[in-house]
Amino acid sequence: MLKMHHLSKVYRTHLIETHALRDFSIHVKNGEFVAVTGPSGSGKTTFLNIAGLLEEFSGGEYFLDGVDVRGMNDAARSRLRNEKIGFIFQGFNLIPDLNLFDNVDVPLRYRGFNAAERRRRIEQALSRVGLSARMKHYPSELSGGQQQRVAIARALAGSPKILLADEPTGNLDTQMARGVMQLLEELHAEGATIIMVTHDPELAARAQRNVHVIDGQVVDIQAEPRLRSVGAPPLQSAQA
Amino acid sequence: MELRPILSALMRSRVALVLLGLQIALTLAIVCNSLFIISERAALMERPSGMNEADTFILASIGFGADFNLKNAIADDLAMLRALPGVVAAAPINSLPMTNGGWSSGLSLTREQKTSSAYSAMYFSDDQALAAMGAQLIAGRLYRPEELGERTRKTAGWPPVIIITRALGHKLWPGQDPVGKTVWLDTEAEASTVIGVIDRLQAPWVHNEEVVEFATVLPEVINEGAFTRYIIRAAPGQRDAVMKAAEAKLAEINPSRIVREGKTLEKVRAEAYAGDRAMMIILGVVIASLLVITALGIVGMASFWVTLRTKQIGTRRALGATRGAILRYFLAENFVITSIGLLLGTALAYGFNVWLIRHYQTQAMPWYYVPVGCLSLWLLGQLAVLGPARRASRVPPAMATRSV
Ligand SMILES: Nc1ncnc2c1ncn2[C@@H]1O[C@H](COP(=O)(O)OP(=O)(O)O)[C@@H](O)[C@H]1O
Ligand SMILES: [Mg+2]
Repeated sequence: MLKMHHLSKVYRTHLIETHALRDFSIHVKNGEFVAVTGPSGSGKTTFLNIAGLLEEFSGGEYFLDGVDVRGMNDAARSRLRNEKIGFIFQGFNLIPDLNLFDNVDVPLRYRGFNAAERRRRIEQALSRVGLSARMKHYPSELSGGQQQRVAIARALAGSPKILLADEPTGNLDTQMARGVMQLLEELHAEGATIIMVTHDPELAARAQRNVHVIDGQVVDIQAEPRLRSVGAPPLQSAQA
Repeated sequence: MELRPILSALMRSRVALVLLGLQIALTLAIVCNSLFIISERAALMERPSGMNEADTFILASIGFGADFNLKNAIADDLAMLRALPGVVAAAPINSLPMTNGGWSSGLSLTREQKTSSAYSAMYFSDDQALAAMGAQLIAGRLYRPEELGERTRKTAGWPPVIIITRALGHKLWPGQDPVGKTVWLDTEAEASTVIGVIDRLQAPWVHNEEVVEFATVLPEVINEGAFTRYIIRAAPGQRDAVMKAAEAKLAEINPSRIVREGKTLEKVRAEAYAGDRAMMIILGVVIASLLVITALGIVGMASFWVTLRTKQIGTRRALGATRGAILRYFLAENFVITSIGLLLGTALAYGFNVWLIRHYQTQAMPWYYVPVGCLSLWLLGQLAVLGPARRASRVPPAMATRSV
């Protein structure tokens, strides 16, 4: 589903070069639920941004659903992103001036679906996250947990190949975080492929597989699925 | 494209929408009406006076001293002027088109009627008047020497023959040839017979729409007081030289008077319409300022919104929007705002026009002003928003995850 080989990412400013990813290799299979952990600044978001075609990479190879994305132009990347990727952000990133219906509608309009198809998908996605009764509400009228559910509905509505979540529970209290995590687990059980960045070892432990990133490199892949009895979390610290 | 969500999103920032919409509405209303007023003034200024303005000038003579004899002075002056090299024709005349001062008189078709059938400017001159002015006789004949006379304070009645403009003839006898018709300039005196018709000669009062085309040329030279005005037409290209020579010669042949008012008809026209020209310039400045202010308002508001929505734009990009889609979003948003403004502006523009018609006797604005104005403001809006919209389209998709 997602394959990166010796991928590198260098940020250049006129003063410094930051090697955000180096020799980064990962293979995520169809239907996997992968948690990416690592200290702050280790390159987790960079990895997710490249995976989601939000940023380009400096070297190496990346195949998304079998497609070599190197050298693709901006419009083609936008289209691929729209079709294959569902993004879930730490800050929800709902559009405050649009109601829930219109928020979920945003990627579907870029996709070019007709009105009936969009409506069907929006209603289905919102009902999947348990918010179909609030379609006409605005994001500000919802709790954080509910907003993240809307964002998940928005990510799901286009039937993407893969869900990418960057600290999806980072802005939520424990209880709401648990609810969102449960939803992701259910989606995974229904067959979704999910890559989730988190710094919460407890949440990471609930994923099928953990990828630990330090200094832009994958250091430890726990190959055993559902390995819950992790001892002391490795190299964790409080981070955003 | 996505007009409905754009509209509903705009409804959430209603104050900005109302302010910008009102600005656009007022701009449309004021620009359309101002342009119309400008075009009306321009049309006013473009009306021909009926004279040859390029080659013609006027001079005034004011006599002084006990031995100044006006009648003799006029005779001497005319003899000199008509003999002056480069002079095509010269005539004494009391007033002229575009000078805003002169005599007028009522004309009656019957002796019995109480109110006049028309009012007309009265130009007192001689048989050279039309030649000097460059006015065209289209029917009848000019005055014969034996028909010429003079007018003093004591002159009773009116000359038995007159020449009138075509417009005045049409007003008095619609559809008929005025030549040979009689008309009373004074119902207590004798009637006058029309012997000639001038194609066109304006009255002095160019801003009086009702009488501006009604003029009568009388075969009488004013012999009263010490003031005389001459109208002199030079051969093409010689006006300025002839004017200088005529001024000098007039002063020379009769030292008991001063020569004044040496003025080309072009200058007379410029002075007559100075107010109109000033009005056109002021309105032009108003239009330009309004357009600039409105464009800047759109640029400012759009820039502010792009900055405010940087993260939202990144999110849209992350959700699959192309750069073009972001660009189109801002263009479409501007189109929606402008259209709302123009809808209101159309009503305002016509309302303003109706108000002007009521209070300032302007005409109804031709139908195409508002549609053309709308098109122009749509274009202005799209051009103004293009810069901010392009900036928005360059927001990187990573802004969705990188910004707080
Ligand atoms: N746009 C950028 N320009 C320069 N450096 C960047 C940029 N984005 C991220 N970085 C750097 O890349 C490294 C990895 O960042 P990131 O992927 O955000 O880490 P994480 O998400 O694990 O906290 C950090 O050192 C960060 O400062
Ligand atoms: Mg991060």
